[in-house]
Amino acid sequence: MKLRLSIFCVLLVLAFGSSLLLGSRVINPFTTNETGREILFSIRAPRSVVATLMGTALGASGAVLQGILRNPLADPYILGISSGASLSAAVGIIMGLTMFGSFTIPLLAFIGAVITGGIVGMMGWKRGGLWPERLLLAGIGLSFLFSSLLMLIMSVSTDEGVRRAILWIFGDLSMSDWSLIPYGLVFITSGLFISIARAKALNALILGDEFAYSLGFMPHLERFILFISVGLMTSASVSLGGMIGFIGLLVPHIVRFFIGADNRMLIPASAICGGTLLCIADLLSRSVAPPTELPAGIVTALIGSPYFLYLLRKKDVLGV
Amino acid sequence: MSSVSNPPVLRLDRICFSYKENGFFINDLSFIIGEGESIGLLGANGSGKSTILKLGSGILRPSSGNVVLWGKPINTYRNRDRAKLISYLPQILNFSVPFTLRELVSMGLYPYDISPPMTVKEALDMVGLRNKADSHITDLSGGEKRRAFIAMTLLQGAGLLFLDEPLANLDIRYQIELVRLLKRLKGERGISIVMALHDINIALQFEKVMLIKNGAVLSAGPPSEVLTDRLIREAFDVDVRMIREPEGKAYVRYEDNFDERMC
Repeated sequence: MKLRLSIFCVLLVLAFGSSLLLGSRVINPFTTNETGREILFSIRAPRSVVATLMGTALGASGAVLQGILRNPLADPYILGISSGASLSAAVGIIMGLTMFGSFTIPLLAFIGAVITGGIVGMMGWKRGGLWPERLLLAGIGLSFLFSSLLMLIMSVSTDEGVRRAILWIFGDLSMSDWSLIPYGLVFITSGLFISIARAKALNALILGDEFAYSLGFMPHLERFILFISVGLMTSASVSLGGMIGFIGLLVPHIVRFFIGADNRMLIPASAICGGTLLCIADLLSRSVAPPTELPAGIVTALIGSPYFLYLLRKKDVLGV
Repeated sequence: MSSVSNPPVLRLDRICFSYKENGFFINDLSFIIGEGESIGLLGANGSGKSTILKLGSGILRPSSGNVVLWGKPINTYRNRDRAKLISYLPQILNFSVPFTLRELVSMGLYPYDISPPMTVKEALDMVGLRNKADSHITDLSGGEKRRAFIAMTLLQGAGLLFLDEPLANLDIRYQIELVRLLKRLKGERGISIVMALHDINIALQFEKVMLIKNGAVLSAGPPSEVLTDRLIREAFDVDVRMIREPEGKAYVRYEDNFDERMC
């Protein structure tokens, strides 16, 4: 297993390096001129770092959520966190808010995500703990509500901001810059660290609360801690670059095929593979038809879905 | 069952409990589980067997009364220390994540930082599943799945096992296989077993039987004293007859002759 995890790490390094150096213009870091260095360090590097961070957060969050909700169809967006973030960010974009400069939209998205996560948490809370079914239904309900509000705002707005908001919602990495990365890094690594530290408890929760208790865990407390870790990672990811589909839902299933279902390996491996896939998707999204950029979320789904369907046909990856 | 010959492992002392949702209650329940004892809980659906198992294992907290494990109140144990002493196997084993048997069974090691009492291989050996270590749990038969979870509880090393209807949904072969396995484990490792079940013939295999009705103990003691025509009729509201053969074996016969066949 550790060998496979090491291979995934190597693939991530290769994908990251490729997304830095390849594209509509290939850059040789040893022979490039001032313009090439500018492209490399000011445009591509922050973009690749954001892609890696977002992919890492989404892959790990998907694995954790599928465990705590005991649902193989769960993904980081099912809790409505992304819908809250999107609504908040879209309102900011359409209204042209700029009070915190380039931080304004990510900050609004983060605040929207945290508030939504809080509401979902409160609605999922009953009799001293978080209940998976309540969390799931609260998340789906809020998602519908916020998506409808978002559509309503967009349909009555005629501003150029609508187009920019749509681009942002579907995952726009072109606005990435270094200023946001430290904040994203702190939240995502914290969430990742917590998830990996509680991976044993997550394994036990998958079997059911009574098993988890019998194995020496407090199910409600563990679920709360893991919910916070997912909230941190998803909020930070959406703030960095909008919504990227596919990774959170399907990467954990693909990784389970190679690594197994033990979350002590699955969470780090899903994080690494999520980062790898988004780096490759970003590279393709800006290389296929330059200067036009495709939304990275569409590319991740176009690469990943056929492969996932192939795996599903070949081997039982969903456990059904 | 107020006294036991073996040293007491767990004591439930004047336990009261009720569910807020449906008002079902356990009132003034007391019993003792001795070291190495096997106790079968029998009762109609909804009589309180599962609730009693959850109260005994600490999953549910009583509204009054004490649950005492090895002389100390169960809620004073650290979670991991408690997990080394008591293991609970629920009735429904329902999850979709395809853990391999090895991954599942090794969860029994979670309460331990240091060397556990046995290895995964030994636990799988004991339940006869070593050759399926890399199979997905979702691919196993019902009987194999139950044995896999029992291997996990063995690895957990707990001396007291609460099993909630482990024979449910198993065909007769797997039922016999599982009861044999539990008997063997009890003999070899001195494990105490408390098991909720429905089959009166299987209950005859236990050292002690508790008949439960409406959240209270109707009768408790050796099967020969508890499993009588009158008490079974009282617990289940059906007519049965206990047949005891000269060589000591006993079995139950249903008195209803099912006048007409189901066609």
